[in-house]
Amino acid sequence: MSARSPLLTLWFWLFVAFLFAPLAVMAAMGFRDSGFVAFPIQKWTTRWYADALADRDYRVALWVSVQVAVWSTLLSMAVGVPTAFAVARLRGVVRAAAVAVVVLPAFLPIVVSAIALRMFLGRLGMEPGLSAIAFGHAVGSVPFVVVMLLTRLNAMSPSLAEAARNLGADEAIVLSRIVLPFLSPALFGAFLFCILLSFEDFMRSFFLGGFDQTFPVLLFARLRFGFNPGLAAISAVVLAATMLLGLHAERFLRRRGIDR
Amino acid sequence: MTRLLVRARRLAVYRTAIDALSASPWLRALVVAVVPVLWVLVTNLAPLVQMVAISLLDRYPLPPGETAAWTTRHYRAFVERPLYLNAFTRSFVFATLVTALTLAVMFPVAYYLSKAAPRSWRVRLILLVVAPFWTSEIIRSFAWILMLANRGAVNSALMWLGLSDAPVEMLYSRFSLAVGVIYLSSLYMLLPLYAALEKIDDRLLEAAADLGARPLTRLRRIVLPLARDGIVVGCTLVFLLAVGLYAMPQLLGGPGDTLFAATIGQVFGRAGDSWPLGSAFSIILILAALGWVGLFAALVGRGGRRRVVR
Repeated sequence: MSARSPLLTLWFWLFVAFLFAPLAVMAAMGFRDSGFVAFPIQKWTTRWYADALADRDYRVALWVSVQVAVWSTLLSMAVGVPTAFAVARLRGVVRAAAVAVVVLPAFLPIVVSAIALRMFLGRLGMEPGLSAIAFGHAVGSVPFVVVMLLTRLNAMSPSLAEAARNLGADEAIVLSRIVLPFLSPALFGAFLFCILLSFEDFMRSFFLGGFDQTFPVLLFARLRFGFNPGLAAISAVVLAATMLLGLHAERFLRRRGIDR
Repeated sequence: MTRLLVRARRLAVYRTAIDALSASPWLRALVVAVVPVLWVLVTNLAPLVQMVAISLLDRYPLPPGETAAWTTRHYRAFVERPLYLNAFTRSFVFATLVTALTLAVMFPVAYYLSKAAPRSWRVRLILLVVAPFWTSEIIRSFAWILMLANRGAVNSALMWLGLSDAPVEMLYSRFSLAVGVIYLSSLYMLLPLYAALEKIDDRLLEAAADLGARPLTRLRRIVLPLARDGIVVGCTLVFLLAVGLYAMPQLLGGPGDTLFAATIGQVFGRAGDSWPLGSAFSIILILAALGWVGLFAALVGRGGRRRVVR
C-alpha cells in the first residue's frame, strides 16, 4: 500500500513478539531442572509439570474456579438475555440511559465495584465465599452479555417474528423457534466469554472470597512468597487451556456478522 | 421443543397466559423487564448508593441498636493527609502516561491490521493478537517477572549478546509496571482503534494522495480525525483499567510506588472503623476517574471536529 508498509509490518510483528515472548519464557521456565527461577536454562526436566498437575492445592483451586465459572455464567446468561430483550425494545434517550446503567459495572474501577458489592452482600447476609464470588463475576459479565446480544438483536429484522405470529405462532414458539436460533451464535459466544472472564478474574474473587480461593487468587498468594519453576509450569498449563477455549469463543463471535 | 409447546396449548391456563402475552405489548414488556430492572437495582445501583451512604457515616459497621452520625470527615482526611493525596496523584499521572504510551504503541498495530495487512489474513492475525488476553492478570504479571528479573530472560539475553556485563535492574520499578500495564491493556486500545480505522474509506486516502498530500498530512488531516471515536473509547477503557489496578502494581511495581487502588484495598483491610474512609476514597476515585475521562472525551471530540471543518 504505502511506502511505510514495511515499517508497519515490522512494528506489528514486534508487537506479536512482545505478546508471546513472556508466555513462551514462562512455559520454558517450567522445564528448568532447579529450585530457582533464573536464566539460562542448562538442565531440563518435566518434573515441575508433573508435580504441578499432581499438586492438591492447585487442583482444589482450579475446581473452585470451574464451579464459580459455571454458576456465574449461568446467572449472567439468565439475567443478560432478558436484559438484552428489554433494552432492544427501548428507543432514543431511554435506551441510551438503560444501556448506560446496565454497562455501568464495566466502567467502574474493579476494586471499587468488588468492595461495594462485598459490603452490600454482607448487609444482605451473604457470607464471602463461592456463591459470593459467582455473584460478583455475574455482575461483571452481564454488561458484556447484553452488549453482545444487542449487537445480534439489532441485526434481526422484526418482520421475522411478525411473520411467525401471523402464521399462528404464540410468543413461546416465536421465542424458541425464531428468536433464540437467530441469537445462537451470540449466545454461545457470550457463554464462553463469561466462562473465560470468570476464570481469569482476580479482583472480585480476591475481595468476595472467604476461604475459597480461585486459581488466580492462589497463584497471587504463592507469588508473594517466592518463585519456583513449578509456578511457571502450572501457569503455562492454565494458559494453554484458556487460550484454546478463548480461540473457540472467538470463532463463535466472528460468526456474528454472517447470515444477516 | 415445539411439539411440547404445541401440546401445552391444550392446557387452558397456558393458553390464557400466552394469549394474554400475545395480545398485550404492555404485558410482554412487563414480563421482559422484571429481571433486568431488579438486577440493575440490586447489583449496579444499590451497592454504590450504600457506599456513598457509608462514606458519609461516622462509623460502620454498627453494633446492633446503635446509630452513627453523618460526617464529611472522611473526605476531609483525603485532602489533609499527603500520603493519600500523593498516591492519588501518582495513580492519575501514571495511568495517563501509560494510556498515552499504549495509544502510541497500538495505533500502528491497529493501522496495520485494518489497512495494510493482506485482507485474507486479517481475521487470523486478529485471532493471533487476541489469544494472549484470555489469561489472568496474575499469570501475565508472573510472565513479566520472569522476563525482567535480574536473572530473567531479557538480562540473560543482553549478557549473552555482550551488550551488558552486569544485570540491568528493571523489575520492581515504574518501568516494569508500565510494561506490564501496556501488556494487560493493549487489547482494549486495539479493538476500538481497529473498529474506527476499518471504517475509513480507502478512497479518501487515495484521493488525498492524488491531490498531493504527504503521508504525515494524510495521517493528521484524515486518519486521526476519522479515528477520533476509536481513540476516545480506547483511551477511556485503558485509563479506567490502569487507574484501578490492584494486583499488578504489587507484583511488578516498586516498593515506594503505592497506587491509589492499593491504598483503598489496604484501608479496607485495616481493622477498626476503616470502611467509611475506604468508601469515601472509592467515591473520590470513581468521580475523579470518570471526570478525567469525560474531560478528555470532550476536549478530543471538539478538537477533532474543528479540524475536519476547517
